[in-house]
Amino acid sequence: NLNVPKARNRKIQMGEFKVHRIRFFDYMPSAIRAMAFSTRTERLALARADGALEIFNFSDNYFQEKVLPGHDGRAVEALCWVGPRLFSAGLNGEITEYDLENLRPRYTVDAYGGPIWTIGVNSQGTLLAVGCEDGTVKMFEVLKERIQFQRNLDRQRGRIISLSWHPSGTLIAAGMMDMIRIFDAETGRATHRLVVDRGAGASKSKEVVVWSIAFLSDYTIISSDSAGKVQIWDGLNGTLIRTHLITKWDVLALSVSQDESSLVAGTSEGTVVQFQFLSSTVDRLDKDWVRTRTFKNHSHDVRALAHTETAVVSGGMDTQLVVRPLLDKVEKNTRESAIRKVSFPHRSLVCCAKKAGVLLFQFPDHLELWRLGESDGYGKPGGSLPVKRGPEKLIQLKRKGEDHICCSALSPCGGWLAYSTVTSFRLYRLLNGSISICKVSKLPKDLRPAHQLCFSTDSSKLFASSSNSSVVVVALNEPECKYLGTLKAKYGCRQPVHLLSASENGKWLATANTDCEVHVYNLDKLKLHCTVPVYGSCPTAMAIHPTTSNLVVVHADQQIFEYSLVKKEYTEWSRRLQKQGLHSLWLERDTPITHVTFNPKNPAHIIVQDLFMFCIIDKSLPLPEAKNVLYNQMTLRSLPEPDRVLHSHGFKICKDFQHLLCVSLLEDHSLVVVERPLLDIVSQLPAPVRQKKFAT
Amino acid sequence: MQGGGRVRSRSLSVTMRRSAMTLQNNMAKNQRGEAAPSSRMTGRERQMGGFSLLLESSDDEGPEEVTFEDSKADARRSMKRALDTARREKELLKEKRRKRQELFQEQKKRKLLSAEVLEEIDSTKQEQSHVKAAEEEAEPEEVEGRKRNWKQNAARNLKGNYTVTTVKQSTLASSQLKAAEDFLHSRMYGPGSRRTTSNEMLSLENKMGKNKSAAVQFVKKNWACQKKAKAEKLKKTWIHMQQIPSS
Repeated sequence: NLNVPKARNRKIQMGEFKVHRIRFFDYMPSAIRAMAFSTRTERLALARADGALEIFNFSDNYFQEKVLPGHDGRAVEALCWVGPRLFSAGLNGEITEYDLENLRPRYTVDAYGGPIWTIGVNSQGTLLAVGCEDGTVKMFEVLKERIQFQRNLDRQRGRIISLSWHPSGTLIAAGMMDMIRIFDAETGRATHRLVVDRGAGASKSKEVVVWSIAFLSDYTIISSDSAGKVQIWDGLNGTLIRTHLITKWDVLALSVSQDESSLVAGTSEGTVVQFQFLSSTVDRLDKDWVRTRTFKNHSHDVRALAHTETAVVSGGMDTQLVVRPLLDKVEKNTRESAIRKVSFPHRSLVCCAKKAGVLLFQFPDHLELWRLGESDGYGKPGGSLPVKRGPEKLIQLKRKGEDHICCSALSPCGGWLAYSTVTSFRLYRLLNGSISICKVSKLPKDLRPAHQLCFSTDSSKLFASSSNSSVVVVALNEPECKYLGTLKAKYGCRQPVHLLSASENGKWLATANTDCEVHVYNLDKLKLHCTVPVYGSCPTAMAIHPTTSNLVVVHADQQIFEYSLVKKEYTEWSRRLQKQGLHSLWLERDTPITHVTFNPKNPAHIIVQDLFMFCIIDKSLPLPEAKNVLYNQMTLRSLPEPDRVLHSHGFKICKDFQHLLCVSLLEDHSLVVVERPLLDIVSQLPAPVRQKKFAT
Repeated sequence: MQGGGRVRSRSLSVTMRRSAMTLQNNMAKNQRGEAAPSSRMTGRERQMGGFSLLLESSDDEGPEEVTFEDSKADARRSMKRALDTARREKELLKEKRRKRQELFQEQKKRKLLSAEVLEEIDSTKQEQSHVKAAEEEAEPEEVEGRKRNWKQNAARNLKGNYTVTTVKQSTLASSQLKAAEDFLHSRMYGPGSRRTTSNEMLSLENKMGKNKSAAVQFVKKNWACQKKAKAEKLKKTWIHMQQIPSS
């Protein structure tokens, strides 16, 4: 019985800006359902409850590289990497392989076994095993372009909830209801039956579910079940070695490290318990699985775990991805050892029409169009302004079909709206001050589903990114839009474009793809103008300055570059910044910059925003040195005027607003700040377990 | 409890009687599978009668010698009698059943409609099944066709309540998906899962945290608005009630 916070559009005075403070974007992330880490590529694949898939690059500051939108009814239960290929299996009974270059499913195969609960690949990468509701473990051969059904193992009575291959590829351990079955993978026969105890007391009448299972190379089987136990079994003899009761609720996930010396178990309480294979004596004999650490980083059930070489990655019903580095693998008190939490997407879901004062919010299943409120008064810095007219929701547009919305855009004049899913593209014309909407039906056939959309500043053209890092340019016209051309990057670019930025004078278009390649096109000639030298970290936001035509690019490792498009070289300020280096506190920030914009009143300003702050970089002021205080706005205010000039530097950071989803500057020089407080999200999460605490 | 099944007596004669009876019963059982209680009763009674006569004469005398042929004939006779009675009873039951069935059928006939209406219903039923089969690949026009069909037949007033609805296309996969999701939901949030609300969890955090504060519904303005409105209303009515006696 929780109420969603009502729309609030407070206007406050902040320094020289009037700020629209917006909290009515009801963004609600989806629970994490499954994850899989690929050691080879250092990528983590994550599946959410709405069917969306996300790829994180663990070697690039945990940047959320790719997002594949969800699909109604996909209900992913398990993920599996086979080399560079990603497979998922879900309750819809299908195995899906994904095309990570075009951010869509490549194909689906129906397993014909009912809902699929688990998927696992053998260490050779040749066979894929899925556990189904009807009690069969189905084997699929992994071929070059597809998978092919090979055979069923012995059918069991009861669903197969979890499975694990033995590293040799000869045995499979399957967790079911009340028992574990060991299969011979070659003959398909079930050889052993390990009976799992039910819980005590009230749980005695309920079947115990073996949620997760792991088969180690020394033939030890580790299982976790709904009675709160982690059990160690001898897989050769089929006997129980030890039981660890770690929680009163379910143990939903298990993950074993590559070297099999450590394993982690995730519970419904939100704790992650680590076990390590240690010996009690100094010599290396009589090693045993010993419970070592307990991490409590989640408020709700932990449903997915991944054990990398240096960290434990967990995710669950509280929708946050947590990376906990293990302190015996990384150096203490460094940036590497800090815990990382990813709560919001690393891309913008808000589009601001600067001329019209209209905001577009992107949800997975619909779009919302809001007009900002108005205020006449003037006030003191930090004070609230009287609101003359409140914000109003103009349009709510539901998507058509079962695919979720991939990207959307609003033209700066507020007259055009476009969105794309993996299968369709739609363009709408907004009239009467963005109140009435009508679909543009005649679209050029070259305009296919896009990964990223962008309107030109004069609202005359639409840019849609397509496969192989190319961009389709379309002239906006009623009733029919004309195809103008396709901007192609050099041959060999296969990764999708995730950033598009058009210059204000309509001459340049910059694109960035997940291979860290930044291309700039000349729109008058519709040809490639230049390619920015590749920097090792992925760009997270970029923009082209309206007057100087300098391209500002910010990367996942928090580096900032400024590139002159006219001279085709880095600017002098950028080189100075690189030489001095960014402040250490700036580099230690753990959320990427998602928005770059400029101040029409002051050409030396660059405004950047991440989840916890926005910063006005003043190029005319000196750069902060390592010994300076970075977050000095508060202290500067308390100093007398002449001293302020001495101590101020070019990075003016404001942390008054959190969690920021968008910061934008309107044409009337007022700042739009879209916040989504984490408490509003937590209050709408499903029920957590009831913990009885002393004195409550 | 069937009569004649149990005779309780503590004398020696009973055991003799019993043993003889069991012998008879066993033989009878072998012959027919299950002994009908009444036949057993008659058999026993006879036996009892016979033995008691003998015993009444003297307790000291030894048992009389009965020839094999005699006893064989005796046994055969009694068996025949038992079989006859069993057969008679079966026939009686059959008759009863037949009579009852006829009675029911007559009652049914009285209840049912006349034969003509039955014919009409039969024919429309066949039409319906044809249309339904075609409707499996439902298209809006066909659905309307069915509705039109019904409108034509609506003139007939059939007994009973019924509603006409179109069947929603739900495939096997989606129903299995729903069932699997329900299983997951019941295991995690169903009975016995010992869960609480987000409100309680956050309020506990407020209470135990470094900067202690009140429960969340009092800290956040727009939490539990309905409850707060209800509380306000109650407060107002209570105050009003207090004021009435005093005025």
